[in-house]
Amino acid sequence: MSNAEKKNTQSYLERLKQQALSQENYGGAIKYDQANMQLYDCPECAAPRAPGDGLTVCAYCGFKFMTVKLSDGIHIKKEN
Amino acid sequence: MFGFFKNKYDNPALLEEIRQTEEKWFVFLDKLETRLEELCAAAIPELIAVFNQDTDPYKRAHSRMLTGLIGQISQMQQKGIEAKETHIIPFMQPSGSLLPDLMSSAGRKYHDRLYRFQMACFDRHHQFEDKVNEGIAALRAAKGNTDLEGAYQRQLTEFERIKDNFNCKQCGGKMSLPKMFFIATYIQCPFCQSQNTYTPSTEMQMLFHQARSLAEQRTAHLLQDYENSKPKNPALYQQYLRAMFDEWNKITPDMLTENERFYQRLLKDHSINHY
Repeated sequence: MSNAEKKNTQSYLERLKQQALSQENYGGAIKYDQANMQLYDCPECAAPRAPGDGLTVCAYCGFKFMTVKLSDGIHIKKEN
Repeated sequence: MFGFFKNKYDNPALLEEIRQTEEKWFVFLDKLETRLEELCAAAIPELIAVFNQDTDPYKRAHSRMLTGLIGQISQMQQKGIEAKETHIIPFMQPSGSLLPDLMSSAGRKYHDRLYRFQMACFDRHHQFEDKVNEGIAALRAAKGNTDLEGAYQRQLTEFERIKDNFNCKQCGGKMSLPKMFFIATYIQCPFCQSQNTYTPSTEMQMLFHQARSLAEQRTAHLLQDYENSKPKNPALYQQYLRAMFDEWNKITPDMLTENERFYQRLLKDHSINHY
């Protein structure tokens, strides 16, 4: 391969590399969040949720936190 | 009678044309192959450099560059196919139809030459296609090393540091994480029984998706043993797969049941011969 063609390959690769590195990722840069603890309590009566009383319905005022039926997962079980 | 007095078919121009077409086709593919090899040889160190420079955890800049290069190689492959379809195949068919009957001695000679031409051109094209596939495989394999083990160990240390640092959002009671979670999980306050939601850090969540790759890195030597065995020994593959899944389960014990099903399926798939 001639020197001119080698130069072409190199310049093509260089352009491709610059394009690949400079193009913005879809959705922007990754945001790194710290581990945190949150609590979602009842918006009607401010009572917290407890597994024995049900995660889907407020044990005090009957407010429905979610309408879906739970199924057995890794950490949540259907009886919750 | 018996064709003794027929003029013998002779067409040196056709023989010359066949020779020239074959030669042109070989030179054309040689040139494409040289370009392909040049591109791959120059691109591999650049790809590794981009992989190492890329700060994105999913290495998307590296993927973009790889996709661009594979696109270039596919264009070369497409050029080969187009040239075959425009110069080789249309040359063979009309030339064959103009020749005398295959069963006659003169016809036989020309048909044989044409057949040899076809096989030589097609074989050369297959060789080129093999080179294209080897080039693409080499580009795909060209990536730097991701230190998954280091990232995992860092997260284990981080977990030890934070596991007792949380308080219940309802009563302020001290809460302790019973084990390392990779997804958002309900944690019950031991004092007021409120259901708190613990969300692990982004890096800890990523670990869940890196667990298989990490297990594969840890057991790569077993896979190598299997790859090196000739003929390939299925017992070694099973040994590798079991070890890999054991490592995987050590990292994400919650997925034990699901992983076991996946293990059985991979093992079964491996023993099915697809013909």
